[in-house]
Amino acid sequence: MRSTSGTISTTTSLPDERPFLRQLATVRWALLISALLISLIGLVTVHSASSELSIDYLPRQAVWLGLGLLVFVVAFTLDYQFLTKFSLPIYTVAMLLLLLVLLVGKEAGGARSWLGVGAYRLQPSEFAKIATALLLARYLAGINRRFLSFGQIMAASSMVALPMVLVALESDLGGAAMFVPMLAGMLVVAGVPWRYFAVGAAVAIVLAAVGWNLVMLDYQKDRVRTFISPGSDPQGTGYQLRQSKIAVGSGQLYGRGYQQGTQSQLRFLPARHTDFIFAVLAEEWGFIGVATVLLLYALYILNGTKVALRARDRVGILLIVGLLSGFAFHVLYNTAMVVGLVPITGIPLPFLSYGGSFTLANFIAAGLILGVDFRRHVNR
Amino acid sequence: MRQVREHKEDLLQRLPRLQLVLFGLFLLIAARFWFVQVVSGDYYLELAENNRVRELPLKAPRGLIYGRQGRLLAENVPSYNLKLDPSRSQDLEKALSFAERCLNQPATELRQALDEGGGAGSFRPILIAEALSHSEVAAIEVAALEFPEFAVEVGHLRLYRNGPITAHTLGYLGEVSQLDLASDASPLKPGDLVGRKGVELAFDESLRGADGQRAVIVDSRGRFKEEYGREPAQSGQNLNLGLDLDLQQEAARYFEGKAGAAVALDPATGEIRAMVSAPSYNPNIFSRRLDRDAWRNLIEAPEDPLQNRVIQNTYSPGSVFKIVMAAAGLSEGVIDPEQTVWCGGATKIYNRRWRCWKQAGHGHISLHRAIKESCDVYFYHLGQELGIERIAKYSRQLGLGRPTGIDLLGEREGLVPDPDWSARRRGTPWYPGETISVAIGQGPILVTPLQIASLMAAVANSGYQVRPHVEESPSVEKEQLTVEPWVFERIGAALWSVVNDQRGTGSAARVPGIDVAGKTGTVQVVQQKTWIKSEDLPYEQRDHGWFASYATAGDKQLVVVVLVEHGGHGSTAAAPLAKRLYEIYFRDYLDNDQSS
Repeated sequence: MRSTSGTISTTTSLPDERPFLRQLATVRWALLISALLISLIGLVTVHSASSELSIDYLPRQAVWLGLGLLVFVVAFTLDYQFLTKFSLPIYTVAMLLLLLVLLVGKEAGGARSWLGVGAYRLQPSEFAKIATALLLARYLAGINRRFLSFGQIMAASSMVALPMVLVALESDLGGAAMFVPMLAGMLVVAGVPWRYFAVGAAVAIVLAAVGWNLVMLDYQKDRVRTFISPGSDPQGTGYQLRQSKIAVGSGQLYGRGYQQGTQSQLRFLPARHTDFIFAVLAEEWGFIGVATVLLLYALYILNGTKVALRARDRVGILLIVGLLSGFAFHVLYNTAMVVGLVPITGIPLPFLSYGGSFTLANFIAAGLILGVDFRRHVNR
Repeated sequence: MRQVREHKEDLLQRLPRLQLVLFGLFLLIAARFWFVQVVSGDYYLELAENNRVRELPLKAPRGLIYGRQGRLLAENVPSYNLKLDPSRSQDLEKALSFAERCLNQPATELRQALDEGGGAGSFRPILIAEALSHSEVAAIEVAALEFPEFAVEVGHLRLYRNGPITAHTLGYLGEVSQLDLASDASPLKPGDLVGRKGVELAFDESLRGADGQRAVIVDSRGRFKEEYGREPAQSGQNLNLGLDLDLQQEAARYFEGKAGAAVALDPATGEIRAMVSAPSYNPNIFSRRLDRDAWRNLIEAPEDPLQNRVIQNTYSPGSVFKIVMAAAGLSEGVIDPEQTVWCGGATKIYNRRWRCWKQAGHGHISLHRAIKESCDVYFYHLGQELGIERIAKYSRQLGLGRPTGIDLLGEREGLVPDPDWSARRRGTPWYPGETISVAIGQGPILVTPLQIASLMAAVANSGYQVRPHVEESPSVEKEQLTVEPWVFERIGAALWSVVNDQRGTGSAARVPGIDVAGKTGTVQVVQQKTWIKSEDLPYEQRDHGWFASYATAGDKQLVVVVLVEHGGHGSTAAAPLAKRLYEIYFRDYLDNDQSS
């Protein structure tokens, strides 16, 4: 594909005269298609998961999906170079919103992370992640070196530390933790000497110890404790873990059939339409369904990586790496949590879980990634 | 536009490596799903099924018990029980204090029931209160959302309509013991009620029926969603007894404030018409599983109210035993019925003075008069001539010293003493003087009131005995005795005189219009040196009074045996009840007789 910018283009027509539509056609739409396929599976699963609830979340999620497509177009249209140029003001606004949540936020599910806008509730931490990715991309792109220095790593880390602390103060530890893989992915690609990884691991351990003693709330500690010994609390968090594994396992190879999962239909599963939606899917569609959805996620990441590989500048590459790293970690952590590989925390599944802000944020990210792809020839 | 030569190559080199790591993690997760879903899928499917399916017992209603003429004696009434599931309780203390307020029952009792049922760690609901009133049920149900750990369960409570009146015959229920549960074949579950005494115990299996089961699908809060399968309960079989409630009630009334036993049976079939033991108890308290204090009080009561004196207590037969003596003497040809013996109020045998109950003596006395007036001296001599071996032989022949085979459990066999028994059990030789005591029904010989009733049936039937039974059934188990009918006819004539002749000791049982025949008996509880009126002694030392009898009117017959503990002489203490029972049992005959 890189050959298009080579010999053929110069002989046929000037880059500026390239028809807009033809250029649009070269964008890696496979990424959007896998996102939409996952979203459709999500709609169907949200419907099944909420059939025992007082409200069916399918129409609401359909609205969010529609809005998602809208913000995708906006994000796709906006020039990422322009956005990264103004990433500092964007970042500042995002931080102010996080502060606002701390002051007037609404509480839901043990975390005070919601901002009421009329009848709607928004979770600014989702947008703060994108803002932070923009700022980090700009900062790291400007460092035109093979490896980052220690000071540069610290500077980048502190850009992430601020929103992380603010989100952690909202008692949304899962949300706060999701900044880390984004930062890590971007640092790795931007170039971190191996010795700093050792230092980073040590710092992480110290931070974990400090966090356990000073930051984490009792219910959060319980989750970790029951993960380490699931039998200790069969009625509480251990119960959720156990019920989720039963749901997943009972799906077997072919699943129990749509809306036939007893674990979800009889409400044994917690948070069925949000954090544990993958367990519903696993129960009803079996390993076949699980493998299909995991494949779609892999395709999304694969296509995203392809876009990064042919992006025209460092900013574009780093932005995509940041967005994809966060995305991949969401998928990996949530699915691992559902089969009891990692402690339970409130991390939803992109495009699949019910959730407004999260869906919007993921479509913005998709729009930004494909926007990078659309602009790979500009000013060449 | 400022064009900077950028170093992209490093980034583009590292990116695929990051991607590789991510895809590796994806494969790991997929492998984990494969393991959980495909390798261990069966295990989790079974857990899912256990999650949603609850097996609820369907209690089989216990069979009803009827008396004669279809009169209901034991039934099942609906009852509301409160169960507590500790595994669903967030705050057990709060729940208990809530129950305390609703039920007006001290929390300590509720807690005791909880602890006995398995305590706070139990995973199955524990019965903590029974027989709730409608308002109590309402108070609990209203707070169902706040206290999901409580469940009101509709159960059945056994109700004995006549309470203490039929207590010993019908028996009562109790929670199944660990021992009964230990057997693998047992279909019983912990907490089940089973028959513990009387008819409820003896006929437990047929009365019990078989519990069914209902499999229901529940949601995560245990709420019923739909039925999944059902195995219906099989009701217990109803049971008809030959018990005549009127006789039973009359006998129970007679024994108010007294101790003793009364049994009435149809000598032709062996069907028990009345079986009363006093003092009695209220069997309905056992239908509730929780009233342990009442249970303890009954067990520890000195007068032994739980004992069924008709089959479980043994007494000296006293003069009633003279019937056996007469049968032995006549059969063995030892006595000529026409020959007389001199009674001067006492006689000397084996260098000892033996007193007749009548200080003035009976003068010249034959067998007929000796039975009628219960002369002791006549039977002292008869005993001496028969010897203990022959007395024992005829005693056993007539049903003493062995169970009658009644269809109830726990029957005692009594004791027919002989030299062999003395050597084996006492380690002492048999003293000839003891034979003289046994001859008038004193000494070591012991009988149950039912054995005496069986003996009277043999006399009434002139030669055969029937196995007594409480169940109303057409099958009659007869046992032909070797004692010949003329012997019983001779004795029967004397027994008729006891009641109907001048100077008969049983005149208190006389019922004009029907033929009552009987024998009084008085058992000395403490050996007296001289003639002392029993009424002058303290209660515990007073004599037991016997009256053993049968009556015939038309084609109906009835045997009545009455024993009043410490009641004094049988003629005054026991005979009047026999009279009343005959009046009731033969009232149709008597009414017709008067009108014609």
